[in-house]
Amino acid sequence: MSSISTPATTSGKNRQTRSSQPQSRQTQSPQNQRRKRGVEPIFYLFLVPSLILFTLAITIPGIIGIFFSFTDSIGIGDWEFIGLTNYIAIFSDPAILQSYLFTFGFSIVTVIAVNVVAFLLAVGLTSRIRMKSALRTVFVIPMVVSGIIIAYVFNFLFSNSLPSLGTAAGIPWLESSLLANPDLAWIAIVLVTAWQAVPGALLIYIAGLVAVPGDVYEAAEIDGASKFQQLVKITLPLVAGYVVINIILGFKGFLNAYDIIVGLTNGGPGTSTRSIAMTVISGFNGGDYAYQMANATIFFVVAILISLLQLSLTRGRNAL
Amino acid sequence: MGLGLALVAGLLSGCTGDSGSGDTRKATIRFTFSKREAIGFMTKLVADYNASQDDTEVVLDTSGVDVVSASFVRGNPPDIALANYNMETSRFVQRGALSDLSGTEAASRIREDLKPLMDQYGSYPGRTSALPYSVMASSVIYNKEIFAAHNIAVPTTWSELIAACEALKAAGVTPFYATWKDDWTIAQGWFDYSVGGQLDTLAFFKKLDAEGVDVGPESSASFQKDFDQPVQKMLTLAKGYVNKDAASRAYGDGNLAFSQGKAAMYLQGPWAFSEIAKTAPDLKLGTFPLPMTEDPEDLRVRVNVDLAAWIPEASKHKDAARDFLEFLYRPEVIDAYNKSQLGFTPTKDSANVPDPRVEGMVEYYNEAKVYQGPSVLVPRTIPIMNYTQAIVFGASPAATLRTLDADWARLAFRQ
Repeated sequence: MSSISTPATTSGKNRQTRSSQPQSRQTQSPQNQRRKRGVEPIFYLFLVPSLILFTLAITIPGIIGIFFSFTDSIGIGDWEFIGLTNYIAIFSDPAILQSYLFTFGFSIVTVIAVNVVAFLLAVGLTSRIRMKSALRTVFVIPMVVSGIIIAYVFNFLFSNSLPSLGTAAGIPWLESSLLANPDLAWIAIVLVTAWQAVPGALLIYIAGLVAVPGDVYEAAEIDGASKFQQLVKITLPLVAGYVVINIILGFKGFLNAYDIIVGLTNGGPGTSTRSIAMTVISGFNGGDYAYQMANATIFFVVAILISLLQLSLTRGRNAL
Repeated sequence: MGLGLALVAGLLSGCTGDSGSGDTRKATIRFTFSKREAIGFMTKLVADYNASQDDTEVVLDTSGVDVVSASFVRGNPPDIALANYNMETSRFVQRGALSDLSGTEAASRIREDLKPLMDQYGSYPGRTSALPYSVMASSVIYNKEIFAAHNIAVPTTWSELIAACEALKAAGVTPFYATWKDDWTIAQGWFDYSVGGQLDTLAFFKKLDAEGVDVGPESSASFQKDFDQPVQKMLTLAKGYVNKDAASRAYGDGNLAFSQGKAAMYLQGPWAFSEIAKTAPDLKLGTFPLPMTEDPEDLRVRVNVDLAAWIPEASKHKDAARDFLEFLYRPEVIDAYNKSQLGFTPTKDSANVPDPRVEGMVEYYNEAKVYQGPSVLVPRTIPIMNYTQAIVFGASPAATLRTLDADWARLAFRQ
């Protein structure tokens, strides 16, 4: 799925390169130098390893997968072409539709939660407070722990610690695990995912906030703007680009949600928290290879559409 | 992630196995065995075999099930395996990837009445693709001390079971310890025992296969019709007679709690005994089939072929592998193995004396009053464990069973 996240990163780079291009063309590369077609071969050499790896590791397997989505292969043995049967079956499969609904709903909620929390934390951590660097370290720790470990730790907290706390304190709704409730288990997944994803967004926001020049605040202060007005009318517009980056990167990541869900609910209770990635993987264990390849292909197309949409949105945002 | 895995598969299928390490006189065969609890036993057995003869060197490979699937894709499968017999293995059987074992001496000693259990997962025309090695029977595990303390006899009918539950409840004892956080415990225990206890699963799945895409409210067999009553009874037990925190307890919690006498009955297989014994080695435990009807004649125990032996068609040392297979099936070897794992030996000449903890299931096993759980007979692409968990957690049984029917029909449509 890493192929899916590349448009986002390139779109991020686009911003920077485009702004620097006019300058460099004037200073370094006059027109006559271009005519010599003298591109240093070393630059191609830089590209080749990644190109080979990307082709071998992403493109070819991707094409193989798309190819098999038109067959009845189970991963081994004989297979034959069955045309669009897999695709027809997918569109009438409530389990797969549900996994799309869940994944998109979950991603939207999580992206909002992560960005609100990360932005507020970043504002706090860039203002004049005590123990700033110590606090920053504390908030970034979740990023370095692997998702599956975080999920298992929280699984224990939700299933054992919180219910026994609820029993001891006599709070009835806390006595049963959040993870055992088909209607609320997704909240637990959002919480844990956000807990892990906030630091990444936080770092980007801190970088953005530090880059805002101090004199605009001084000017605002002289004009009598309150701290809240400064936040809404100065800080927010000036870091808008970073907000977009964070939303794109976050959304892309959350669409691929897998490890934290496996560790927390394993798609349960029932099938209420099965993500798209989980249904795709189930094809490998369940001998439903071709069918889930068709699912993955559809997911790929959906992801490309979202990427294009976001790409055009970012272009508009750059004006800010 | 999906693409990443596809990549691995694609790359690996490109390079076929080249393990041919020259033509030495001594054949080296790779023996796959990954049942964690018995690796110690098997390691010793393999060492004994290697020491006993000079023709073959057996190498034990414990790397697990997923690796085996991949090795078939690569065209480099193990030479012989003892592995859990399930839907996963049945794929290799149905596509003819396993060699015919019907000519072996071991095959002639397998109990005939167990053949349907093997065939239920599909077969390849004209072949005996796998031989059962260890059969695990599972049913209700009960705490003999608690039953005795409250003067409760082992129930043989549904109403006796309910009466026993009521008596236990009145005495302040939790009748069943449930660990619903792990969905497999619901599927293998609650769901399978309830359905298998009153429905002929063999006949049911035969009909279901025949109906294929037509499975639904009108078909001759369907989950919504045939499973409705068993599931309702399961819910009667699940709603009234379990520990309060069942929804957030996992398998490990259950073993500990049951060893501490926190409940009278436990719907688990024999694998739980060794876990329970870790904290309560002297606890007196027994087993009995879950009665789901009013006729004791209907009592049956759930079995699964915990281990089956097979030799892939692609093995380069089939003869050496067959020799080792015959060694594994020597009466003293196969009996010793099954004794150590509380399993049942599927050979006619078995002289195994069962452990007291599984004694309650012996008569049913000997009379072949057994069934395989419906949860393992549904292809794994249908998330039946999740479904059973949803039902126990309050989803509508009728709607969930309808979903199962629809899933079955959809799978038949595209396969």
